[in-house]
Amino acid sequence: MKLLQLNTAEGLNLRQREVLLGWSMVIPSVLIILSLILYPIMYNIYLSFFDVQPLAANTYIGLENHKNVVLDPGFWNALGTTVIYVVFTTLGTTLMGLFVALVMNQEFPLRSLARSLILFPYIAPVISVVFSWQFIFDPVNGIFMDITYERLGLFASRFNLIGSPSTAVWVAVVFSIWKNFPFSYLMILSRLQAIDHNLYEAAEMDGASGWQKFRFITLPEVYFVMGAIVLLRMIWNFNKFEEVYLLTENVRVLSVYTYFKAFVGTMELGQGASLAVIQFLLLLGFILFYIKRVLKW
Amino acid sequence: MVKRSTAFRKIVFFLLVVLIVGFSIFPFIQMLSISLKYPSEWGNPRLIPERLNFEAYKELLNIGQTAKNIPESVRNLLNETPDLTQEQRETILKKYTSTGDVFPFLRYFYNSFLLSFSAAFITVVFAIFGAYSFSRLRFPGRSIIQRGVLFVYMFGGILLLIPLYKMFVGIGWIRIPPGAFLSLLIIYIVQTLPVSLYMLGNYFRTIPFSIEEAAMIEGASRFGTVWRIIIPLSFAAIVTVFIYCFMIAWNEYLFASVFLKNFKELYTLPMGLKALFTSKNAIWDRIMAASVLTATPVIILFMAIQRNLAGGLTSGGVKE
Repeated sequence: MKLLQLNTAEGLNLRQREVLLGWSMVIPSVLIILSLILYPIMYNIYLSFFDVQPLAANTYIGLENHKNVVLDPGFWNALGTTVIYVVFTTLGTTLMGLFVALVMNQEFPLRSLARSLILFPYIAPVISVVFSWQFIFDPVNGIFMDITYERLGLFASRFNLIGSPSTAVWVAVVFSIWKNFPFSYLMILSRLQAIDHNLYEAAEMDGASGWQKFRFITLPEVYFVMGAIVLLRMIWNFNKFEEVYLLTENVRVLSVYTYFKAFVGTMELGQGASLAVIQFLLLLGFILFYIKRVLKW
Repeated sequence: MVKRSTAFRKIVFFLLVVLIVGFSIFPFIQMLSISLKYPSEWGNPRLIPERLNFEAYKELLNIGQTAKNIPESVRNLLNETPDLTQEQRETILKKYTSTGDVFPFLRYFYNSFLLSFSAAFITVVFAIFGAYSFSRLRFPGRSIIQRGVLFVYMFGGILLLIPLYKMFVGIGWIRIPPGAFLSLLIIYIVQTLPVSLYMLGNYFRTIPFSIEEAAMIEGASRFGTVWRIIIPLSFAAIVTVFIYCFMIAWNEYLFASVFLKNFKELYTLPMGLKALFTSKNAIWDRIMAASVLTATPVIILFMAIQRNLAGGLTSGGVKE
């Protein structure tokens, strides 16, 4: 098809041919993104005003879905859980990434092996690691209860930490930090490697302590990459589904809450669409605020 | 800092490294350990099994399952009726040799592989041309496309799930297995295309234009230069993007759980594992062995491209 277009374009000048070729090469990708990302998002907004049945026609019900969603205390619980989840995972992932990057930037034997091993959590499929985590916290066999109950005597009895929503959310937070810190670590490490060594040598000659070197040389250099990591992490973790749902169904963050509303039980697809719209607007508002206030763009 | 370190500081530093690496890989060691332990040892926190138990792996990979699963009554029946032909015997035995109804690991593996491989392949083909177009050619609308690709980062899967579900229900694809499978394939292409365009676009910009120019002076068409110059020169980057897409599709659960819900024979590995865990066949060694087998291909692939991928990740070309 493309060859054909080139042949018919023979009468055109070089500039016009470049335009034609540019568009014909990119058009399949553009069509895919328009029809299967942008159109569905519009369609989702449309659906949020309807009573949506999986197999029957939709009926217009105005703001009924949005009203039902906002009046349901489950929604506010999910929002609260999401805020806790996003804030603590973002902080934890970024700080741990910074700390590990500082350590891995030093020279030591077997460093390249250590550097590849710590990427494992990030690349392994979520489904392949959640059961191992569940086993660690298993009340009967898990090592967590073995240490905290049998050896340290911290708890009065064995119990399942993932079993109740109030404790499970913290397991989900730690799990997410474990899974995603390698990403922050990689970004920060590559920034650290780009810092001019002369800066440290000059500081040492002036008698700067290790902390002062970190505070006045390292930190300013990595400040912006950390700002970017925080932004990306917040966007991703706000929408996170698999890492929460597959580890435990007890932690109802917004994505999991929407999933249950729309696809489990009575399948309230209209309310699900409304929830997705609300979630997106919250995210958008937050991003604009963050970019203006924190990154000062 | 290292230059002035005393022996004490060295030990503390060494312990820190051990702690970080241990924290990262402990869950992996844990699952390998349990997958090889006999049930009597599960409660023992020691990670090295006293006796190795390969049963779970044999069961999942369908090795040597012939004799074990045949009920006593069937075995008696076979012994007491000598007039059965060899063929009849084999068909009866066949019913018991497969562990398919417990957890058909190989079939799920095949489904996952087929989906991920096709999605990654098709995405990369579209992305090579798309990325070349907006990173090399000048045409009106180019910058909008470039920025639009980045904008798509903000959309989580859950936002697209309901409308895409309604759309594919609308055209009737979800009711039949091939339709459901194809819908999922299309969705994986959509999910990996923006990030591939972005990563490849960034890479193509680093190839000097003078090389292409030389080829075009020699009489090669624009299309020919993509085929003969750009693709060979960026082969490593293309493989990296391919594997990255493959991994996204291999790990995906949300869309698979909705689109393949009614077709157990089409389950991908994440779906199958989740279903196994909630079924009555959930036994720790079997689950852990399945986890190990699911993680292994991805970790091997990752090892193959580690250097390139680390570079790609840090230039911001990622999507979760």
